[in-house]
Amino acid sequence: MPSSATSDPPPSPSINTAAPATGDDLQPFFVLHKALSRNPEKKVPASAKRKIDLSTSSPTSADKLAVGPNHAIYEQLRLDAFNIVWSKIDSTINEVLRQINVSVFDEVHKWVLESFSIIKSCYLTSALEIHSHYPLGNDVICKQIPTAMLLTKNAEFVDYLLTFQELRDYLKSMGFHVANLSALDFSAKYGIAGCLRSLLRQLVMMTPDVADFSVLFSWYSEPDNYDHPIIIAIDDMERCSGLVLADFIRMLSDWVSKLPVIFVMGAASSNTSRKFLPSDALQHLQPCEFTLASPFQRMNALVEAVLVKSCCGFTIGHEVAVFLRNYFLGHDATITSFIKALKLACAEHFSMETMSFLVVHMLDVNYEVSLLGKCKLLPVSVLTHAFDLPSCKREKDSESSSDALATGLSELRRLLKNWASVILCLYEVGKLKKMQLLDIFCEATDSRLSRLRSSNNKLGRVSSNSKNLIDGRLASNGHSISQLIHTVRELPVASLCKVLDLWSIHTEEMDEIHSKIQELHLMVQSTKSCTDFQEKQIDCHRMKNSSGVGKTSFSGNDKAAALLDDMVRKFLIPVESRRFHEVVCFRDVGTLRTALIGNPRREIQVNLLKSNSYIRCGCCSSSDNALSPTMHDSSVMYNLAQEYGDLINLRDWYHAFRETVLRGRNNLKCRSPVSKKARLASESEASIQARFCSAVIELQITGLLRMPSKRRPDFVQRIAFGL
Amino acid sequence: MILRTPTRRITRSSAVTPSKTSPSASKPLPPPSVPCPAVEPFSSDDRDPLSLDELISLLPGRNPQIHELLRLIGPSNSPMLPALLYGGPSTGKTATVLRVFQHLRRRFVYASCRSCYCPRILFETVLDQLLCHKRCREDGYSSAKRCDKPPNFVDLLRDALIQATSAHTGAKMKSCSSGENGEMIYLIFDNVELIRSWDKGSLILQILFRIPDFLKVRNVGLIYISRALPDAYYSMVGSLEPLYIYFPDYSLDDIHNILMRNQVNPKLYSCFLSVVLKPFSRITRRIDELAIAFKPLFKKYCEALTDPRLIPDEATKRRLFDYLQPHLTVSMNEIFNVPSWSSSEIDKERSINQRGKLRNLSGEVAFGELDIHMSLSAKYLFISAFLASRNPATLDGALFDSTGGSDNRKRKRKSLQTSIDKQDNLAAEILIKGPGTFPLERLLVIFQCITSTVEYEAEEVQLENGEPTEGSHADLMSDVLLQLSTLCNASFICKSNSCPLEGSTRYRSMIDEDMAFKVARRVNFPLSKYIYRR
Repeated sequence: MPSSATSDPPPSPSINTAAPATGDDLQPFFVLHKALSRNPEKKVPASAKRKIDLSTSSPTSADKLAVGPNHAIYEQLRLDAFNIVWSKIDSTINEVLRQINVSVFDEVHKWVLESFSIIKSCYLTSALEIHSHYPLGNDVICKQIPTAMLLTKNAEFVDYLLTFQELRDYLKSMGFHVANLSALDFSAKYGIAGCLRSLLRQLVMMTPDVADFSVLFSWYSEPDNYDHPIIIAIDDMERCSGLVLADFIRMLSDWVSKLPVIFVMGAASSNTSRKFLPSDALQHLQPCEFTLASPFQRMNALVEAVLVKSCCGFTIGHEVAVFLRNYFLGHDATITSFIKALKLACAEHFSMETMSFLVVHMLDVNYEVSLLGKCKLLPVSVLTHAFDLPSCKREKDSESSSDALATGLSELRRLLKNWASVILCLYEVGKLKKMQLLDIFCEATDSRLSRLRSSNNKLGRVSSNSKNLIDGRLASNGHSISQLIHTVRELPVASLCKVLDLWSIHTEEMDEIHSKIQELHLMVQSTKSCTDFQEKQIDCHRMKNSSGVGKTSFSGNDKAAALLDDMVRKFLIPVESRRFHEVVCFRDVGTLRTALIGNPRREIQVNLLKSNSYIRCGCCSSSDNALSPTMHDSSVMYNLAQEYGDLINLRDWYHAFRETVLRGRNNLKCRSPVSKKARLASESEASIQARFCSAVIELQITGLLRMPSKRRPDFVQRIAFGL
Repeated sequence: MILRTPTRRITRSSAVTPSKTSPSASKPLPPPSVPCPAVEPFSSDDRDPLSLDELISLLPGRNPQIHELLRLIGPSNSPMLPALLYGGPSTGKTATVLRVFQHLRRRFVYASCRSCYCPRILFETVLDQLLCHKRCREDGYSSAKRCDKPPNFVDLLRDALIQATSAHTGAKMKSCSSGENGEMIYLIFDNVELIRSWDKGSLILQILFRIPDFLKVRNVGLIYISRALPDAYYSMVGSLEPLYIYFPDYSLDDIHNILMRNQVNPKLYSCFLSVVLKPFSRITRRIDELAIAFKPLFKKYCEALTDPRLIPDEATKRRLFDYLQPHLTVSMNEIFNVPSWSSSEIDKERSINQRGKLRNLSGEVAFGELDIHMSLSAKYLFISAFLASRNPATLDGALFDSTGGSDNRKRKRKSLQTSIDKQDNLAAEILIKGPGTFPLERLLVIFQCITSTVEYEAEEVQLENGEPTEGSHADLMSDVLLQLSTLCNASFICKSNSCPLEGSTRYRSMIDEDMAFKVARRVNFPLSKYIYRR
């Protein structure tokens, strides 16, 4: 269990996700969002949790469990379950994201070796010549630095921070000198000294008081360092200051004969660098393009590993899936926020769903036995709670015994597994059509569509005509699953063979289907070899019958399509229509939405206008919204501002504010002597003005109004209207 | 410290043992496999000596400058007047100076003001070289003398020069092998023009140009290399005006000669140059730019040949020319070509693809796929930023009306013909000025207008389908500022300085029209309707 997961209190929205969200200004929606209610209990070290876990499974602790499912013991159990499940998901995510980069890293490595050998052949430098203080290799007309452009093809950069860290580790392990410079190092403020300092700190492991470039020569001529390329990785080129980067490139290119520098630059697209750097810096770069996995590729891999394949004991319902998909496409096309949302959903699930602690036992290898043992220990109150779940109420004949719960849960797990296999089969076909796995996933979780499919099934038996019609309708609505089945019908033999091969891998645990697929696979293979042979023959005889051959309605395709159709009908039943799905499935899209797309300004307005409903103080009556002087200044001011249009006259506003504040004071001090009162008034006039000013500034900072412009010095402008 | 003596030879032979304590050998030594040239106290050329003929043949087109420089420097024991070498970029200034010193085999100190980017580093670099100081890990890579004030520098420089001269003469007295026979020490300052942009640059320049006055040491020669004309330093020059040597741009023949150096197959390359040099020289005559442009072209040129060592006859020349012709125009229009690196299997596919691309390029501009991934709301923001920069603000009302209507616009046009004319003039002016700036509010208003029409359409589609699904467009407006920061980071939009009148930050879009159209096509947005054209 990685420590990162265990150390987090689960239901907090400020959870660190797997990818380090170091883009400090990138996720403002978490800043102003209220913290959710969390477990008041103190965190228990991991070992202690284990102990509790064990003790609950022992019969002696059965008495302890004889309480309702909302008891603290169960809360602790759920917390443990969250930690276990999330750490599993977390490690899966990390593995997937690592795996997806491996091939690119490998290519970069080869390229580095190649360009280093080119540099060496161009400028024959010995270690001692490095000490000469003038640039060598003057015969080379323009010295160029080999530059790998790592194209992210994504406007948003957060996802790739981790990638660059991994790249650094990878290249370091290959024995190169690597320095990771970020856009912050290339700021216009510090100029070239900033990036040189950072470079020296990473390579030479020390910071001299001035970042002198010649230190690098001395360092590089040391025997340990000599004869390895120096790789400078700049993670986000577009965010650097162009002038500083250009200076840096010119400087390094002067000395490339003495310091074999190689750049690795992250860029959104190859076009941007052209606009971004001056041409005399560009000509010193010898670029070469590498493309990182696109966001869609990453997303597919992630969904496949986390939501479909792994059976981690956590899955999401249709609405949540659709929301996440739309959020990914519409708003924040980053994997980072997807993972964050997933973690949030997971945390919410385990904090809200009382029965979710059972998930831990579903994860065991022999889950059936473990579930059975566990369920027997559950007290009656918990059992009845389990059978009160909405998904169980639907089936009235269910008896509420522990055995039924255990079998129900193990059944659920088995069904989920089958469901996942079918989705993977569909995705294999979808890959050929460049479909996104998340789309298929969304559709597969849609219970309405599934019902439609089953009704379609009944119709289909009546006449093939009407079935086609319905198929056509579904397809026209953009429903991907029926499209996929249709695709199978039209696949060429070779790719069909490949797809069948993959299917048989995915369905290994579903005996019946597996044997069918293998049968079909053999058949297709034989026909494939047959058609190959035929085609050769046709080639030989130069018969112009090729169109006929292409169209030969090949029964294999139809059979495969029918088989897929069958699988979809039988196994692709959404989780949400299963019994006990509440234990593993998160469906509350509302919570997730407020957590992800907060509406901070609205929240601030509500807090200001209805402050007494939060504070519940005695002095302000909660029934009427009358202003009382004891309220906070900015709250008073904002309430007063409601009476104005988009422009607020400062003078009027001040007087209204003053009235409100003084009213309270007069009430309090009405009996004080007159002379004292006058003195107090003049004193308080200044203090009221000060309070007024600070309140205006507070409102400005919260973004509710704008300060007076030069054109209208007496007016402030309201920016926020209504709730 | 005294080198070129038998003692140094001992140091060199015992180089395998890295633990040395004497100052000259305390520097960790390179792997023994590397051939060790002589360790110099400071830069003097230890490469093979050059004869004058070799020198001239190495630097084609620089014959007069070389002679001029040699004349200026004079014999090894005569003082020289300071010299300022100037000329455009890549006209061989630095190369000439370094080669001349290789030919003369005299001692010099070289400091480029590009890598020595502040006064302190410049001063310390010069002093280090004079004092033969080698930085090493033991003393934390520190320089020999700490020096960041110009007056300090002059004193230290004088001391260092005296020390260096005495050490040198001492060495000469002791050793029989007299590799060098001069007492002059030359200071070469490269890229002097960069100093002007430094903090207190004029002061530093003054110091540099008046070093001979300050030092009053006879045996120092100063050479400045600059891209800027001497006028730039006019105010800096005090008493002693340096002698100027101008490096003019290369002529076509010079460029030809330079490019012909070190070619494997000179005949073939000269054929190639006869094809490409003329058209390219109309674009640029900078040798470095040409060399870079020709490298991939020559590769292409050779592709058509079976044997690169072939000496081409007329027929092959013609064939090669035909082969190269289509690539030529493409390459001339290209600024920065980024080839993708691929292993050999993919190469074949790529070449096929490229042929297709080439056809596209030679024909009309191909609308390629959008190669950058953005979220939907970022795309709409992208479009609205483009519109905000492109259209005059006065037209917003007409384009983004609440009724969204084109009829509305027509009516306005009829009634206000004169004001429309006025607007036309304004718009023309704006087009000339390039993309305009806009305040954040205007961007957001346009964004909302655009997305509201989209939402409206989306709802209609949903009603037709009869399925009230979760609207993906429903909340496009939320965290739009986050998207804005994304676009700013990806340098599609840049934040310009705040407007002096209003005080709020203004933005400017850096998007070209092609890109904007690509994005608009991606989201099915009728961008052409909204662009104001005269």
